[in-house]
Amino acid sequence: MPLRDRTNCRSPEPAQIEFSQVTLELGGKRIIESLNLAVKPGEFLCIIGASGCGKTTALRLAAGLYRPTTGDVTFEGQPMRMPRRDIAIVFQDYGKALLPWRTAAGNVSLALEANGVSSAQRGEQIDELLNKVGLPGHAGKYPAEMSGGMQQRLQIARCLAQKPKALLMDEPFGALDAMTRQGLQDEVLSLAQASHATVIFVTHDLEEAIYLGDRVIGLLPHPGRVGIELMIDLPRPRDQLTTREHPEFLRLRRELFDFIKASEA
Amino acid sequence: MKRQILYWRAASLVVAAGFIVLWQMIANLRLVSPVFLPGPDRAWAALVRGFASGELWTKLLGTLEHMAYGWFAASIAGIALGAMIGSSRTMRSYVAPSLEFLRPLPVSAIVPVAIAMFGLTQGMALFVIAFGAIWPMLLATVHGFAAVEPRLYEVARSLQMSRLAVIFKIALPSASPDILSGMRLSLTVALILAVVCEILAGLDGLGHWVLLSARAFRSADLFAGVILLGGIGYGTALAMSTVEKQLLKWRPSGH
Repeated sequence: MPLRDRTNCRSPEPAQIEFSQVTLELGGKRIIESLNLAVKPGEFLCIIGASGCGKTTALRLAAGLYRPTTGDVTFEGQPMRMPRRDIAIVFQDYGKALLPWRTAAGNVSLALEANGVSSAQRGEQIDELLNKVGLPGHAGKYPAEMSGGMQQRLQIARCLAQKPKALLMDEPFGALDAMTRQGLQDEVLSLAQASHATVIFVTHDLEEAIYLGDRVIGLLPHPGRVGIELMIDLPRPRDQLTTREHPEFLRLRRELFDFIKASEA
Repeated sequence: MKRQILYWRAASLVVAAGFIVLWQMIANLRLVSPVFLPGPDRAWAALVRGFASGELWTKLLGTLEHMAYGWFAASIAGIALGAMIGSSRTMRSYVAPSLEFLRPLPVSAIVPVAIAMFGLTQGMALFVIAFGAIWPMLLATVHGFAAVEPRLYEVARSLQMSRLAVIFKIALPSASPDILSGMRLSLTVALILAVVCEILAGLDGLGHWVLLSARAFRSADLFAGVILLGGIGYGTALAMSTVEKQLLKWRPSGH
């Protein structure tokens, strides 16, 4: 590979998702410029940045929903030409991403149907997935009958039904209250660990990024490019109280905070 | 809440009963000649007589049949065309001006064309009813397909759903509230046009019955026919809204 990624030099393990010199223009505007990024299998990568820095766009490139203007996005060495079922994306606006005419079970079933799971096996898998995201007993409810947090859990269940190798999350908890948010953060951590899926998690919440990630990348806006990269060596499993009080956590938070402030100036 | 609904229902019944009483009084006082206005008693008797002889049954079934065939044809064509036009922006911009020209065209202007093409036949009636009833459905379906949440198409893309699956699992259910309300509006149009066609082409049905009764000054039979037509309109609308409620029970209440 001629374009070795700088960020990944220390690891001999091949990247699962790799951006090489990716530039994206939409409507004549350069949104992302020369982005290089390598994500290892099973890694939990968080992307932060001021609004308009292209973090959601980067995620959509990884999902195959956008194709780069120049440069390459590859998944397991294969160029991404379109979305694939083993990459699941959790959208921020769960209210729009769920099918309102299908029950919770029906929404999970959509992904199973797409994956070709036979109808005989679907029921059992649906129950298992709803259990996994903490929604047992809600199978028959329509999204409109569920709270925001429950709807986002449901969307996560549908994404897990794809049996994804990579889970892309676009500010998934941005619209939820603080308590629901913390609960879901811990659940996402344990789900990611159990499924061994790679996670790319976009957020504007710096503490959330440090709390969740193995690595945090900060993007600079206009056009989007990598401005900072931090390895998070906080012990796992993480804990909402002790992790957030850890001196290393506070140091990282300070560093990211300064970065955001400088990038907005 | 429940009590209030009961209260309103009772009130509406009282109003209806009041109208019937008023009608009976006008007829009894002979404010209008009984040749033209029968009382509800005579109209009811004519209804009973008509059903007993079996004649009104045939007419009723005839009208329902005309209405149903035209409406089904319009539904299938309207939803299929609407789906095609609504799901593609290019199609919409190409076809929209033609639709805007055809839509406000009074269906009565189409009747002579249809008679010239098909003669005074059932085919003519089918064509006229379908042509008139297609518009509410077509326009509602176009709107429904055009208004599908774009995020859902992205969900479909990341699941690599087939084109057919996207239409049947995403677009059609998403457009279903619009389609169903279009179908409900079309129902009324289909009934009106069924009667018009029966009158014009002498096809077996309530329209024809009403026309012949009027010509023979059988006012009670005439009113029996009109009451039945009202009943058809009410009954079909009620059936449709029941189906609608059942199919759209996923929608949050208040819509």
